[in-house]
Amino acid sequence: MTDPTDELVYTRVFDAPRELVFRCLIEPEHLTHFWGPAGVSAPLETIKVDARPGGVFETVMVNDADGSQYPTRAVFIEVTEPERLVWTEPDSGVTTTSTLRDLGESRTEVRIHQVNVPDAFRSPEAQAGFLTSLDRFAAYLAKLG
Amino acid sequence: MTAQDRLDSTFAALADPTRRAIVERLARGDATVNELAAPFAMTLPGISKHLKVLERCGLISRSRNAQFRPCHLERAALDSAVGWIEENRRIWTERFDKLDQHLRDLQVRRSNGSDDRD
Repeated sequence: MTDPTDELVYTRVFDAPRELVFRCLIEPEHLTHFWGPAGVSAPLETIKVDARPGGVFETVMVNDADGSQYPTRAVFIEVTEPERLVWTEPDSGVTTTSTLRDLGESRTEVRIHQVNVPDAFRSPEAQAGFLTSLDRFAAYLAKLG
Repeated sequence: MTAQDRLDSTFAALADPTRRAIVERLARGDATVNELAAPFAMTLPGISKHLKVLERCGLISRSRNAQFRPCHLERAALDSAVGWIEENRRIWTERFDKLDQHLRDLQVRRSNGSDDRD
């Protein structure tokens, strides 16, 4: 299956049962361990999760080096345990769908699928391959130095 | 204009194939409106409209005093749009790395028979 090029997709397989992976994605006690990327923390007391449609999903990511803060604010659209989570960020319009697939033998595939990155991607022109072009730009511009 | 607004308008500007082609052309060097219009079956006012969109979001600038007002690509603005996508990918990659480690820790603790509430 090919994804339309106006979307972003990240996939990873984890050696853990699906129920556990799903809990990690919605429980602050787990999120605090991994939500911030490298060098960035997500302090437990800043994480608010109300895992039901219309519920909030808020975090504050804190840069370990200089203490600068990046709040994130999203609202759940769908919560289907243990296989699907959909949330949207009202500020940017980005909608993120997490799909958890049970691969058996306690292995779980997590697929992160983001659309409207940002709103402008809804245009028909964007459907024609904006990201592909942007990737080409990047490579092209790098060559030009 | 906030940084997010600027990024939104940059993506919106680049969603159009003609404007992407203009940006690609300008990546090779400055050009006048006439030079930019040449490869397209488009009137000068049509091209000018696209240039205004690109100018408004800061992707291109136009010299104020030169006679033919050549257009210039503002690489930093383009890099910030490309950078947004790369940054987003990096965040998820690093998040997944940490989640992988966290899941291992949890399961080691569980198999050791300790409290798995956390």
